Amino acid sequence: MALQIRNKIPADIPTASMADIAFLLIIFFMLTSVYSTNFGLEYGLPKSEDLVNVQPLEAMHIHIMGPGAYTIDRRPATLQQIGGYIDNKLKQNPKKPIIIQTEPDVPYHATIEVLDLCKQLKVENVSIPTSFEVAMWGAFAGGIGK
Amino acid sequence: MKKLRVHRVTAVIPTASMADIAFLLIIFFMLTTSFSPVKMSVDLAEAINRQEVDKDAAIIAIGTAGVMEISNGIQTGNRINSLEELDLFVKEIVGLDPSKQFIIKADRNIRYETFNAVYEKLRNNNCRRIALLTEARRVESQ
Repeated sequence: MALQIRNKIPADIPTASMADIAFLLIIFFMLTSVYSTNFGLEYGLPKSEDLVNVQPLEAMHIHIMGPGAYTIDRRPATLQQIGGYIDNKLKQNPKKPIIIQTEPDVPYHATIEVLDLCKQLKVENVSIPTSFEVAMWGAFAGGIGK
Repeated sequence: MKKLRVHRVTAVIPTASMADIAFLLIIFFMLTTSFSPVKMSVDLAEAINRQEVDKDAAIIAIGTAGVMEISNGIQTGNRINSLEELDLFVKEIVGLDPSKQFIIKADRNIRYETFNAVYEKLRNNNCRRIALLTEARRVESQ
């Protein structure tokens, strides 16, 4: 009887595509990780039942007449001076509200600059009045920020 | 004289990992393609103090010419032609979820009155959370 020659296949784990699998896993985790690229200035409005009327005469009034043209409580000031003024007032009363009034034809970024400054100084109560409120306060107090 | 045996190696291009490479490319393009519900590109105002906004927030984009695009944060944005349409949109969103955040993605150079018209619509419809989208302010060299 003739002896049969057995061709033994060596036991190997194929590792050629291991790198690809690793990359696929990396990319899978990169995809499923949640990240956001949107950032902005948050501006919260009170619930209608929690509404507190900001009294124009109690608040600091910032009037934006153009980019770099501001007044605070009717006194012309630079953004830096406004920062110092707010800081001083907040030391006396940390809850002192601020009203930011902007003229209709002013570029939007001028308002953002002031709002950003208020956020940096951690002002708790910032109010952007509607045109109706501006008209109403004007009628009651002979103009806001006296 | 002995004849030399020539062992010919056949020319084969290895294609075993072709599928992996294809998948890698697909995933690369999936990663680099960004999907934003609102397609309008605007030049944002700059700010230092910025907070992360909600991922599913409703978006109101305002372009340079006052052109507006709205999205509920999930569906693709739609152009709107009037403030009445914006009013209906805000009413619907606030009606479904009163705490939903609204992102105003406005161009830095639009007139304040354009922004104010949108802001008033949000306030009149009892919207509680607004975020004004900004980009990081670069530190000025002195």
